[in-house]
Amino acid sequence: MNSLRCAGLRVSGAAAAAACRPSAGRMTMLPAVMRRLTHHDGTRCMSGEREYVGYGVNGNPIYIDCADFPFPAIRYREVTPEICALREKELSDWKKLSLQEKKALYRHSFCQTYSEFQHFTPEWKLVVGIGLWSIALSILLTLAVNLIYDELPETFDEERRQAQLRRIIGLQMQPITGLSSKWDYSQNKWK
Amino acid sequence: MLRITAGKLANAMRGTVGVTSSRIAAVRCLHGTEESAEEFDKRYEKYFAREGIDGWEIRKGMNDLLGMDLVPSPKIIESGLRACRRVNDIALAIRWLEGCKDKCGDQKATLYPYLLEKITPTLKELGVPTIEELGYDKPELALKSVYDI
Repeated sequence: MNSLRCAGLRVSGAAAAAACRPSAGRMTMLPAVMRRLTHHDGTRCMSGEREYVGYGVNGNPIYIDCADFPFPAIRYREVTPEICALREKELSDWKKLSLQEKKALYRHSFCQTYSEFQHFTPEWKLVVGIGLWSIALSILLTLAVNLIYDELPETFDEERRQAQLRRIIGLQMQPITGLSSKWDYSQNKWK
Repeated sequence: MLRITAGKLANAMRGTVGVTSSRIAAVRCLHGTEESAEEFDKRYEKYFAREGIDGWEIRKGMNDLLGMDLVPSPKIIESGLRACRRVNDIALAIRWLEGCKDKCGDQKATLYPYLLEKITPTLKELGVPTIEELGYDKPELALKSVYDI
């Protein structure tokens, strides 16, 4: 059962994509091992002709450049005749490969190098900008509100607020940890 | 070797932070016997050196190792490189080197030259270029904005 499941999982993205495509509806195009349909099938179709080389995020065949998970499930680029020739050459001694060919093979498998995806981007400017804009807008809004309502409502008067507090204590609101818990009812004063 | 030094450093830190080693040991015991650094290195060397290992298992091992709080020892790195050679994937080998360099963290200036010195014979033997030879120590290409594609 386990081996069957592994075989099913390791059907390449290309084979699965071929099976999903309506134009390739013939039985001969189906993989040897029948798979159950899963929620990954859409992603599998989108992975196109890319080689399926590992177990991805939650088993999804997606590409991601990330230091926590540096070896994604699929190669970055689709298979082309040029890269096939290069992969043939890769089978022999690696010393025979030129630096350009090694780079081409790397870029076939991966999108960005570590130094590229960890490079500091100027995104912080946008974040700081949005932050300053929102502060400026809220100051303007506060000024506008203070201009429109020049007097505070009468419930803000000192004696009314005192009366409100009396009532809260009288009704014993929040008696466990809140306001009333700090009131000593036997002596009628704060604890 | 690196794990031993890191372990010693952690022990020294533990003294200052105030957590006694006996408490650590008591916690560890709940998870079975503690694995020594040498055993850990051996285990991963053996994992990568296995006959008939495939790209899936290599990637799994490397992803796991690079997710741990440690710098892989030169022996594990070499073993991983040889595994890449056996499955004929030079891109994987280069990425593995990059990952190991990244694991050195803020100690890149001291740890990375040491690692490189240890693994250079294997790199020469297999024909794997170092990150500096490829020019991948600095950003090479800028990524195209998704709005321009």
